[in-house]
Amino acid sequence: MANTDLDSVEQYDAIGTSPDRSDAKSKATGRAVFIEDMHFRGMLYGKVLRSKFAHARILSIDTARAEKMPGVRGVVTGADIPVLHGEALKDDCFLARDKVRYRGEGVAAVAAVDEETAEEALSLIDVCYEELPAVFDPEEAIKPEAPLIHEQLGAYRHAPGIEPISGTNICNYFHLEKGDVDKGFAEADLIIEDKFTTGMQQHCTLETHCGICLIDDDNRLTLWATNDSPYRTRKEIADALKIPQINVRVICAPYIGGNFGGKGGLKAEAAAIALAWKIRNKPIRVLFTREEEFTSAIVRHPSVIYLKTGVKKDGAITARAVRMYFATGAYAEKGPTITRFGGVSGAGPYNIPNVKIEASCVYTNRQLSGAMRGYSGPQAAWAYESHMDNVACKLGIDPLEFRLRHVYTDGDTHASGQEIYSEGLKECLEKIGERMEWGKKSLGRNRGKGVACMERAVKTPFGSAAFVKVNEDGTVDLLSSTTEVGQGADTVLCQIVAEELGVPFDWVKKATPDTSTTPYDTSTTSSRSTFHMGNAAKAAAADAKGQILKLAAELLKTNADDLAIKGGNVYLKDNGGSSLSIAQVLGKHFGHSATVLGRGFYYPHLEVPVEYFSTHMIFWLLGAHGVEVEVNRQTGEVKILKVYAAMDVGKALHPSNCTAQLEGGVSMGLGFALYENFIFRGGDFLNPSLLDYKIPTALEMPEIEPIIVECAHEEGPYGAKGIGETTNVSLPPALANAIYDAVGVRIHELPITPEKILYALKQVSEKKTQQRADADPATVGNPFGGKK
Amino acid sequence: MKTIMLTVNGEAYELAVAPNDMLLDVIRDKLDLTGAKKGCDTGACGACTVIMDGEPILSCMTLAVRCHGREITTIEGLAPRGELHPLQQAAIDHNAVQCGFCTPGWLLSAKALLDGNPHPSQEEVRTAIAGNLCRCTGYKKIEDAISAVAGRNQGVVKGKNRD
Ligand code: FES
Ligand code: FES
Repeated sequence: MANTDLDSVEQYDAIGTSPDRSDAKSKATGRAVFIEDMHFRGMLYGKVLRSKFAHARILSIDTARAEKMPGVRGVVTGADIPVLHGEALKDDCFLARDKVRYRGEGVAAVAAVDEETAEEALSLIDVCYEELPAVFDPEEAIKPEAPLIHEQLGAYRHAPGIEPISGTNICNYFHLEKGDVDKGFAEADLIIEDKFTTGMQQHCTLETHCGICLIDDDNRLTLWATNDSPYRTRKEIADALKIPQINVRVICAPYIGGNFGGKGGLKAEAAAIALAWKIRNKPIRVLFTREEEFTSAIVRHPSVIYLKTGVKKDGAITARAVRMYFATGAYAEKGPTITRFGGVSGAGPYNIPNVKIEASCVYTNRQLSGAMRGYSGPQAAWAYESHMDNVACKLGIDPLEFRLRHVYTDGDTHASGQEIYSEGLKECLEKIGERMEWGKKSLGRNRGKGVACMERAVKTPFGSAAFVKVNEDGTVDLLSSTTEVGQGADTVLCQIVAEELGVPFDWVKKATPDTSTTPYDTSTTSSRSTFHMGNAAKAAAADAKGQILKLAAELLKTNADDLAIKGGNVYLKDNGGSSLSIAQVLGKHFGHSATVLGRGFYYPHLEVPVEYFSTHMIFWLLGAHGVEVEVNRQTGEVKILKVYAAMDVGKALHPSNCTAQLEGGVSMGLGFALYENFIFRGGDFLNPSLLDYKIPTALEMPEIEPIIVECAHEEGPYGAKGIGETTNVSLPPALANAIYDAVGVRIHELPITPEKILYALKQVSEKKTQQRADADPATVGNPFGGKK
Repeated sequence: MKTIMLTVNGEAYELAVAPNDMLLDVIRDKLDLTGAKKGCDTGACGACTVIMDGEPILSCMTLAVRCHGREITTIEGLAPRGELHPLQQAAIDHNAVQCGFCTPGWLLSAKALLDGNPHPSQEEVRTAIAGNLCRCTGYKKIEDAISAVAGRNQGVVKGKNRD
């Protein structure tokens, strides 16, 4: 399905150029409105009382003193809103009921005339708890004797394809098999096994979570939110409160200060809704503090992943078995689908005849894990790409060569059974190899090179709709519920409309998402917007264009087919000279009351039955990283000399925004690789601030060489796929592989701290001393006994 | 409450502030200048950066009462008559803006740097914005924008530097 006949850049006016982002000026001047800048008359301010226990029964909550405090307008507890919500599995409460399941869980909320009053009132709420045994580690949590976190798991409503195991802490079990792994392992000359783990990373969007909710006496709810997906949120709210969707209006703030998957679902929104459910006819704002971001928003799933690969002496891979545990925290959040996607991609983007994958989503008494840039891609890739190098090393094969030999290409079959098409991954690896002068240029002592690649599914099959409204003067409003979270969606969607309709880019403006005006979109997630919403916007623009051309054809007494639009003017294709502006065409027909509305909808149709989160994808996000490092053997410190970042974007519609994503992804991947992690001591969480949880600053950033690969997708708008979600994914394993190349130590646990490197170096040198005593050094590390 | 005099973006204000009011809350809530952002409220992110008497400061960590008689520039003061400051123009030209939440903060850090040191080295640029966290950009395009204005990359300043 790769489309090689797609037009080249030259034929486009807006596509493939990098116009100024449509939001850049208002952001650079400080005029851009974020939710914290919004204010409504009579607005109340909400604050949440949070659990100090990881797992405890709530014996009683006494709110009487808080309610009497001057300035307080109401106090709400879980008993006031006894309903459950959630995306794939409905297990989450708006405020805790009966028991708390993590430290930081909301137990009660106060609305007051200002934040200080609300905060003060929290200290007047008395909660009696009875502490329960807690479990934090996913492998402990699956043991039969582990404390049960959700006794009612079997009774929760859930989406199809999600398999909670009642009576355990497993809220989804995913399983996939291809071929016969037992046979594959039996055929192998060598079997290599590894275990890898990842830590807890937080999105750290510079803007914190916020929701402003107003519910009137007729159960009509309006939510202003810094939320990535207004329709998904509307559904979640309407389902939970059992009110019709029409009574729920979700309006996004004009701009959202970063997302990376963290601003979906109900976070600050949940408390705002709970308060508004009780205190009617007042807009109530809940704005998370930075500390709440760490304790009570969401994080990336910590994971434990086991891999086992069977190989022949010549390097053929005969089988791979993967067992994955994703710690989803106290509530499922997006864990079930994250586990599903992690499972689908667990064996990596390789052609392996026999594969078995098991992935479990496990409750623990920690903060909720959810969607974060890459979904489960970073955990899966950390494991399979570190493992690939291990396997290559055991075989004595160059790791890049080993990958190039096994990476799937068009026509191959994915572990899920789907045929691979439009695959640009091999090219990503080859380009990185070229730029790094792989195998040619040595970097010197204690320096090394590493490479890693990745695949990540785009959520499939889900729809997106767009309206294109052409105004009297020919300017265009694009009505779309894709949210501008920093990724540049507003800009690229306006480019697509400008291109398709034939108007200048700056004539098109995208509306702020609002479920009462902008049409349906599943979500701004999964790097799906350019492809799905891009297709919808393109179709809507084509529809509008068709209507305009028909009107113009009547005026020009010709066929619509003989006309085209460029620069906002309709002209005869053969005779570019005579033209009418869009405004003239509309004006001559409708006077001052002209308008044209184009409609577009896109939904990917696959040859497999429709399923919630299919295992067959409309496209795969594919990319690779190359890293050059220097390791200090005395301190264990890693200096990154250079990063090469390649992604197959299908077609770069806005090349500068593509490199912007590649660079941003490197910083997030680097933080995850080297230091970002939550530090716990038992139930206590020690670093809930940006002072103690460090994210990369300008000083930590290495040189980056972004590489755009364009393997066009025949169904993508102008061949485009997506990019933003996965530009961090393969960086950590590439870095670990470079460290191995530099000093010969393999780190299995993220983050790669200097301590871990020093410890591993010490072990290697002890082992070497041992081995020197009883082996021929030439055979060390080579299981087949040949010289490396 | 205490009365203080403040000059913000060239305008003089007489304000009644509580002894524990932070400058960030005063300029956002009392003066409606919302360009300065609250990313952490604990001095860790730099989103609230403003310039006080030529120095970049974290307004979330600065008591308003201690600003009596001081002169403050916020992002709104960088382009007072709608004409963009060269740094703002460079931020747009170099595609250095993504979600935009950090943008006012680093622009003001950069302005303070260039006002005092018109030709900073790459290292000085990085150090000047090291307190301005950005989760979106990876800082490369931000550095490019500042360096372009610093005049070190001749030729780049005029045109757009898009890869
Ligand atoms: S808000 Fe002031 S440093 Fe973060
Ligand atoms: S642009 Fe989003 S934090 Fe910098």
